[in-house]
Amino acid sequence: MAVKGLDIFKLSPKTNCKECGCPTCMAFCMKVAQGALQIEQCPHMSDEAKALLSDATAPAMKTIKIGAGDAELTLGGETVLYRHEKTFVSKNVFAVPVCTSMEDADVDAKLESIKKIDYERIGEREYIESVFVHGEGDKLVELAKKAAALGRAVIIETADVDAAKAAVEAIKETKPVLVGATKDNYAAMNEIATAAGIALGVCGDSIEDIYDTIKALEDAGNKNLIINVTGADIKETLKNAVLCRRGAIKDGDKSLGYPSLVKLPKFAKGDLHLQTAFASLFTLKYGSIIVMENMTMAEALPLYGLRQNIYTDPQKPMKVEPGIYPLNGAGPDDPILLTVDFALTYFLVTGEIERSKVPVNVLITDASGMSVLTAWAAGKFSSSTVKKTFDDFDVANKINNRTLIIPGKVAVMKGEIADKLPDWNVVVGTREAVEIVKYFKDGEHIKAAEAAAAQKADAPKAEAKVVDENAPLDFDKIAASIPEIKVVDMGVQYKTRNVESKKFVTIGERIHCISPTIKAAMDNMDPEPILKRAAEQIAAGATYLDVNIGPAESNGPELMTWAVKLLQENFNNVPLALDTANKKAIEAGIKVYNRENGKPIVNSADAGSRIDNINLAAANDAICIALCSADGIAKDNEERMAHCHKMLDLGMSLGMDSDDLWFDPLFLVVKGMQDKQMDVLNAIKMFADEGLKSTGGLSNNSNGAPKEVRPIMDSALVAMAMMQGLTSAIVNPCDKRLMETIKSCDIFKNNELYSDSYLDM
Amino acid sequence: MSFEPKLQAFNSSVNAVTLGTGDKAITIGGQNVMPFYTFDNAVENTQKIGLEILDDENAVENAKKAESMQGVDFVCLHLESADPNGADTSVEDCVALAKAVSEATSLPLVIMGCKAVEKDAEIFNKISEALEGKNILVLSAREENYKQVGAGAGLAYGQKVGAESAVDINLAKQLNTMLSQLGVDDKSIVMNAGSAAAGYGYEYVASTLDRIRAAALQQGDAQLAMPIITPVSTESWAVKESLMPEEEMPEWGSLDERIIEMEITTAAAALTGGSDAVIMRHPEAIKTIAAMIAALN
Repeated sequence: MAVKGLDIFKLSPKTNCKECGCPTCMAFCMKVAQGALQIEQCPHMSDEAKALLSDATAPAMKTIKIGAGDAELTLGGETVLYRHEKTFVSKNVFAVPVCTSMEDADVDAKLESIKKIDYERIGEREYIESVFVHGEGDKLVELAKKAAALGRAVIIETADVDAAKAAVEAIKETKPVLVGATKDNYAAMNEIATAAGIALGVCGDSIEDIYDTIKALEDAGNKNLIINVTGADIKETLKNAVLCRRGAIKDGDKSLGYPSLVKLPKFAKGDLHLQTAFASLFTLKYGSIIVMENMTMAEALPLYGLRQNIYTDPQKPMKVEPGIYPLNGAGPDDPILLTVDFALTYFLVTGEIERSKVPVNVLITDASGMSVLTAWAAGKFSSSTVKKTFDDFDVANKINNRTLIIPGKVAVMKGEIADKLPDWNVVVGTREAVEIVKYFKDGEHIKAAEAAAAQKADAPKAEAKVVDENAPLDFDKIAASIPEIKVVDMGVQYKTRNVESKKFVTIGERIHCISPTIKAAMDNMDPEPILKRAAEQIAAGATYLDVNIGPAESNGPELMTWAVKLLQENFNNVPLALDTANKKAIEAGIKVYNRENGKPIVNSADAGSRIDNINLAAANDAICIALCSADGIAKDNEERMAHCHKMLDLGMSLGMDSDDLWFDPLFLVVKGMQDKQMDVLNAIKMFADEGLKSTGGLSNNSNGAPKEVRPIMDSALVAMAMMQGLTSAIVNPCDKRLMETIKSCDIFKNNELYSDSYLDM
Repeated sequence: MSFEPKLQAFNSSVNAVTLGTGDKAITIGGQNVMPFYTFDNAVENTQKIGLEILDDENAVENAKKAESMQGVDFVCLHLESADPNGADTSVEDCVALAKAVSEATSLPLVIMGCKAVEKDAEIFNKISEALEGKNILVLSAREENYKQVGAGAGLAYGQKVGAESAVDINLAKQLNTMLSQLGVDDKSIVMNAGSAAAGYGYEYVASTLDRIRAAALQQGDAQLAMPIITPVSTESWAVKESLMPEEEMPEWGSLDERIIEMEITTAAAALTGGSDAVIMRHPEAIKTIAAMIAALN
C-alpha cells in the first residue's frame, strides 16, 4: 500500500530548514512518497516516520523459500488478487501426506507412489513437489528421514515439541517446514524453526487465534512464516485463505502476507473426486501448499494443467519447446507440418491432427510464443527462422519424407521457404486448425506435394543462390539494378521542414506491405500506388512517412533503395522511417537518403533480439525508434524503464545524441488491455521527465473498435499522451479528427503560434 | 492488535434469472459477493448444474433419468446433429425432439445449438415457439445472430436468451448491450462467456470470469451483471486426457477416471471464477460438483 505524501508530512519536523535541498518539508515529503528522494536525506526525520516508510515500501506478501537444493520451492510473493491485474508469481505446490500412525509398509508404498507422478508439460516438470509428514513421537524422525530421502521439500507437522525438535534436527539441511506453532507452544516452536533457519507454519482454532500467534512470532523477530488456513470445514478454509490474501494485498496488513497451507484430506474423507474439486478451487483461490490424500495421473493431468494456465503471466504467453513432435505414431517417412511455439496454437493444431489419425511430424519453430500471423509480422517467423529450425534439429537427416506443410496464414512465405529448403516440397496447409481433419482426409497435402515435386522436376535446376549475410553491400550494383526513378506531379509537395521545430512529429503509417495494394506494388516495383499513398499522407500533413517493406528477404536492399529514392525524389526529400527487420535493407536505404528535412528513422530496435538496430542507427547517424520491450510486452513501468535505460546506455556508448532515440512505450489495444492504458501514459511521462523523446503506434489502442469510433479514441489518447510529453506518433495522417487534435495540442503546448486558421497550416 | 476481518459485500448484485417453471424452477445469480465468498454476505441462490443430453436416440430416456440423478438441477439438450456440415438434422426434427425431452422431464430446459449461426437462430426460435411458457434458455445468441434470436426466443416467445462471446469481455458487454437495446429484458439474459478445459488455455477463461464479476460488482456495470452459464463437458470431453484410450497411454490409467477428473477440475474452476451454472455430462462428476457446491454454501 502506497504511503501518501501528506502522511509523511505529518511526521516530518515541519521546520522548512532546506537542508535536504527542498524548499519546504511538504515538497520533500511529496518527493519521498513518489520515490524520488530517500527519507534518510532529511537529517531531522523521526524514527517513527522512517519505520512507517520502510514498512510501507515492504512487499505486501512475503516470499518464503522451503526445501533445499533441487527441492527448493518458492512460495508467496504475490502482489495482486487477480491474475489479470498483473500476474501470479509463485505457483502453488502439491504435497502428499505420510503419518506416524501408518504401517511401515504403507508409508513405503505411499512414498513410492509419489515418484510415479513425474512428467513434463510445456517445458515444466510436473511432480509432487513436497511430502507432508505428520504425527507425533519418535517415529516422526524416522518418517522425516524417509521423506527427505525422496529429494522433495518436506513439511513436518506436529504439535509435539520434542518430536518436532528431533525431526527438524534430523533433516535440517533439507530445509523442511515446521508446521504446528500455536498460541500455546509458539515460543518453543519458534526456537526450533529459528535455530534451523526454516519456515514455521502457524496453526490455530480460528483465524483470530492464528493472527495473534503471528503477531507474537513477528514480535519475536520471526517473519519466515506460513499460515495453516485449514479450518473446521472447507467453507472456513476458503474464508481463511481469502481473508489472509485479501487482508495482505488489498488492506495492506503484512501480518497476513504469508503463504498458505491447505490440508484437503480432512474434508475429502476418502472421496478423491471431491478432493480434486477442492484442489481446483484452491489452485485459483490462494492456496500455496495444497496437501492431497493421494495424487494419481487422472488427478494430476487436469490439476497441473490448470495450475500451469493460472500461473502463466498474462503478458507472456505459454510457449512449447521447439522441435519435432511425431503424432499418431509418425516416423521418418511421414510428412512435416510446421507451426509456431505459441502454446494455444500448438494445442489446437496437435488436437486436430490427433483427431485426423494421420501420422504427421509436427515441427515447432521458435517464434517467441507468438501466434502465426503476429510472429510473421514481427519477423519472428520467416524463411530464415524456419531454415534455422531445420538446421538446429537436423530435420533433413531425421525425416525422409520431403513434404513440408506450412500454415495457410503465411502462404506468402512459400516461395522463400522453398528457396531456402530446395529439397523439400513446400505445401500450403490450412488457415485454421479446425480445417485440418478435412485437409488430411481429402489428401490435400499429398496432392499439393506431388504438384510441387512435379513442378520442380519440370523446372530447370536453378542455381542455388549463395547469400553471404555478412558480405558488404555493393551499393553501385544495387543502384544499377533498380528501375529508373521518374518524377511525377502528384499535385502536392512536401514543404521544407525546420528540423529543430518542437512540433509534434507524425509518422504516416500507410505505406505498409500488409496492404495488398502496396505489397503488389513493392513486388513489382510499381511506383504509382506508393506515390498515391505518399501524396495523400503529405497532403494530410504527415511529418515523416514510414516505409514498411516487410522482411523482404530476397531483395531488401534493392527494394528499400528504390522506395527511398522514389519517395524523396518525388516529394522534395520527404523524411522517412525505414521499417523492416532486414538490416541490409535499412543500410542500403540510408545510403541513398537525403537528410534535408530530417534524419532517417530506423524503425525499430527493442531491448531484446532487435537491440542491434541501435548499432545500425548509430553507425548511420540515424534516429532510432526504441521499443521498450524485449520479447513480449513489458509487464510494468519498472520493466519498461529498465528496457529504456538499457537502450539509452547502448546508444550513448555508441556516441548517439539522446534526442535520436525515440522511445516507444508500446501502445496497447483497449479491447483486451484496457487496464494497462494508464501504465503506457505514465511511461511517456517518465520518458519526458528524463528529457527523452517518445513515439509509438498510437492507433493500436483502437484496434478492433468500430471504424467510426476509432478516430475519437485515437484523438482522445493523443491529447492525453501529448499532455504526458509524447513527442511523436506513428499514425494514419488521413484521419482528420486525429490530425486536428494534434495541431490543437501543439497550440496549447506552445509549439506553434496561434492564428485563427491554425488548422489549415 | 487483534484480527478484524474486512468483509466485502458490494452495493451491486448479479442479476437473478429464473429458468423453468413450477417446483423445479431454478434461479441463478442474485448475489453481491464474489463466488463462494459466503463469509462476505449470505448468498441466496447456489450454483446450479445441468446435465448435457446429446441428441441421439437415447435423448428422451436420458431426460427422464435426469430427474432422479444426484446433483442435476436442469437439462441441457445439445442439438449437435443439426449442424449443416454434419448430420444436418432438420429444424422440424429438432423441435420434435425438444418437445419430447421437455415432456419427459419437469426440470428446466436449456437448448444448446450446433454453432452454425443461421441454423441455430431458426432452431432456437422454432423451439421457443413450441415450448412457449416453459421458460427455457436458448444457448446461445451470438454476435452474428443475436437480432433473430433476441427478437424470436427473447421478445416473441418470452424465453431466456443466452449471450455467447468467446472469452472476450468487451464482446460480452457489447452483446448484452445490443440485446438490451433490442428490447430483451436484462433479467432475461444469461451470459456464456466462453470456456476451455483445464490446461488448455483456461487462463483466458479464468481472467474473463474474474473481470466480468469485478465489473458487475465493483464497478456496478449493469451490462455485465447477467449471471454466467458455462458449458464444461463440451470442452473437457474433447481434450487428449479425455479421449486417449488406456491401451495407448497405459501410464495415464483409466480413461473413465481421466474424463471424470478433467470435468471436475474444469467445472470447479469455472464455479470458482464466477459461473452461476455449469453444464456437465458424467454422473460421477456431477455428483462431485454438487457436493462441492453444497459444502461451500
